[in-house]
Amino acid sequence: MNIYVINGPNINLLGTREPEIYGKETLEGISNECQEKASKVGHSVKFMQSNHEGEIVEWIQDAIINKVDAIVINAAAYTHTSIAIHDALKSFSGYKVELHISNPHLRESFRHVSFISPAVDSVVAGLGPDGYIQVIDLLSELPIKVN
Amino acid sequence: MSNGKLLIINGPGLSDLSDHNETANDDLSLAVIEQKCIETSREMGLEVDFRQNDDESELLRTLVDDVNNFDAFIINPAGLSKSSFIDYDAFSAAINKITNLSKPVIEVRIENIFIQEGSRPLRGSESGVGFVSGLGKYGYVLAINSINKKLSNN
Repeated sequence: MNIYVINGPNINLLGTREPEIYGKETLEGISNECQEKASKVGHSVKFMQSNHEGEIVEWIQDAIINKVDAIVINAAAYTHTSIAIHDALKSFSGYKVELHISNPHLRESFRHVSFISPAVDSVVAGLGPDGYIQVIDLLSELPIKVN
Repeated sequence: MSNGKLLIINGPGLSDLSDHNETANDDLSLAVIEQKCIETSREMGLEVDFRQNDDESELLRTLVDDVNNFDAFIINPAGLSKSSFIDYDAFSAAINKITNLSKPVIEVRIENIFIQEGSRPLRGSESGVGFVSGLGKYGYVLAINSINKKLSNN
């Protein structure tokens, strides 16, 4: 299965940004763990991060062109603002998971609305960096169409 | 020896899943979910108690009474979060009590509740509650895997 893992703004600061919320693990560490899990279960994972909304939109469009099987997206703060990412995800016909390291519904009220959630198949939040690994692991069990 | 005791509680309406017809939910019934949870837990050496109750106050009492009897909790509030505000707040308070003990709690929803009208996730706790929605019975599998990892890291 071909999977894009797309990360949004400030996620490159993981490990140093509010570690009491996001943990001490770095993005590089999470990326390495994802690759390790993916190779164990036979997935190919492209792990990406951008602070730019347009770049994230373009990666989702790449996923459409390249007929990627699944997108795991942590849009971070763009979750609560980006109709452009919502629209791009709507055009992607593969399987879509919205992922968050913390649980936005337990945080400030401005994080309670997600423009991503109605455009995806499933939402996983609040499991820490392990959420990425659990999702990649589970994707092989799900009865989803693979290209 | 058990690697931990897990309580899975399911709220009102989950006894009948015949109207859930999404891809990930083919042939879904509470019995199918229970079976999957038991299998997954057993593989990891976790003891599991799987319950469902249509009575909201019973559900709340279960949670309050059993805080000290289990190491981790999976909660599917189901219809609870659509209808009852009072019980919903009491529920959040009970969950806060669990997270204050640093025990893992994960809210699991069968469907993506953000596509449905009126459903909302549990709120109230500052942190420590995981959330999984839209993965059908596999949401429980993911939650059990995550809990197992958390318990074995402690």
